[in-house]
Amino acid sequence: MAELQADFAVTAAADAAAPARRLWRRLEPTALGAGGIVGLLLVWQFLPDLVPMKAGTKLFFTVPSDIAGTLWRMFATGSIWAPLGVSAGAFAIGLGLAILAGLPLGILLGRSNVLNAMFDPFITAFNATPRLVFLPLLLLWFGLGLWSKVAIVFLGALFPLLINTYEGVRNADKLLINVVRSFGAGEWDIARLVVVPNALPFIIVGLRLAIGRAVLGVVVAEFFGAQDGLGVVMVRAASEFKVDVVFAGLIVFAVLSLVMTGLVKLIEDRMSRWRPQQVSGD
Amino acid sequence: MAAYIQARNVNLTFRPPNRAPVRALGNFDIDVAEGEFVSIVGPSGCGKSTFLNILLGLIKPDSGDILMHGKKLSGPGTDRAMVFQDFGLLPWRTVEHNIELGLELKKVPAAKRRAIAARLSALVGLAGFEHHYPHELSGGMKQRVGLARALATDPDVLLMDEPFAALDAQTRDLMQVELLRVWREAKKTVLFVTHQIDEAIYLSDRVMVMSKRPGRAKKTFAIDLPRPREYEMRVTPQFNELKLEIWNTLKDEIVV
Repeated sequence: MAELQADFAVTAAADAAAPARRLWRRLEPTALGAGGIVGLLLVWQFLPDLVPMKAGTKLFFTVPSDIAGTLWRMFATGSIWAPLGVSAGAFAIGLGLAILAGLPLGILLGRSNVLNAMFDPFITAFNATPRLVFLPLLLLWFGLGLWSKVAIVFLGALFPLLINTYEGVRNADKLLINVVRSFGAGEWDIARLVVVPNALPFIIVGLRLAIGRAVLGVVVAEFFGAQDGLGVVMVRAASEFKVDVVFAGLIVFAVLSLVMTGLVKLIEDRMSRWRPQQVSGD
Repeated sequence: MAAYIQARNVNLTFRPPNRAPVRALGNFDIDVAEGEFVSIVGPSGCGKSTFLNILLGLIKPDSGDILMHGKKLSGPGTDRAMVFQDFGLLPWRTVEHNIELGLELKKVPAAKRRAIAARLSALVGLAGFEHHYPHELSGGMKQRVGLARALATDPDVLLMDEPFAALDAQTRDLMQVELLRVWREAKKTVLFVTHQIDEAIYLSDRVMVMSKRPGRAKKTFAIDLPRPREYEMRVTPQFNELKLEIWNTLKDEIVV
């Protein structure tokens, strides 16, 4: 590795245009990625001018500039905030509750054979069932408002969190547990000092899955039952052939998911500073 | 001289589910004096590591009496600490925080912990590496952390379970020299388990040979080499005679 870098340094010094080249090398993947997206958007934008379309087809078609305009208007007039707030609220409350319940439960089940034997059949059965089949029941019980949505988000997000935490806890290093026990650690200290840090990579995977399931829960609940929210706006727009509004909603959902996944990545990077870097060849 | 650690008739049988029970220790006895360095050698699976875990308080024997300083042993305590074979460092903690582990569990205030960790880092030759993570250290350095961590709570007894088995031969030789230096300065009673007869003789005041399973004390050898021990002692006739004698006692117990 050091040799490689030394080699690289020599050739770079010999090259007069080195700084520019190095800058390009660093920016190349980003530039290519951005270029791809821009190219695609341009083709899409000018497709109606290039390909003859019937009036009926045009009704279901929209171009990026229209979508961007609609998005801009939705934010400028503030018409997006109410439905977005409803959707985001259900997402946040449901996911938060799933974390609050899933992590401790996963740790308890992972550490206690008795509890595990008691709950395992229940969890296996629940996890094997697509949670969306509970939607009619939840709508009946919790109504068309916030809480049926929270319930479906909670059910969707709970199991990936619970099961991954459980797996991570089961995976805990027996030697390390003995080490802390030898210093007088009780069950709480063992969980705090060994089991949870050891399970963190599993928990992060669970969290990432849970976010996906939670977004899915919000969208499906709003498509099929709820009266408010971004999904409801999209369904209404579709029934009125406002394709640009449907796309605008889609983009907002996509950006929200990306932001959440980015946040998880940030947490992951912060928490895995102790791990060997991949380049070190460890 | 009153024995500091005294074990009498210790018996332990492992009963793994769905398998035949394994008798690990059968009427095992040992006496260790305060400040003494005693090694236990024995064939694989003879229960020598198991006995260390019993002393540490992680395993309860089926029967037998173990007295430490005249008091009956019950569970883990800060008067004993173990140096583990595979280091047992928490990979997400820096060297400094690994050394502080036992102090943290003893609720020692942070400033005092930091001071103790700094002193022990220097003692075991880790100065300057306090903020490194275990994966950035060599095997020898990792075990220095393991040793410093065990010393941090200032135990009376240091239990060492094949601490250098995971190291290469040269690092192992250097670590033995280091261990003797640290032992002289820290003045601890040491119970050291190993497979290597050389290592046992070089380090110890006495070497106990254990029988094959169920493990019991077969014979104990007094090592009368002067201290401080020099590396050259390993090639003296006296050293080699001891080595041969211990080997002859041990070899009948080894099941290939």
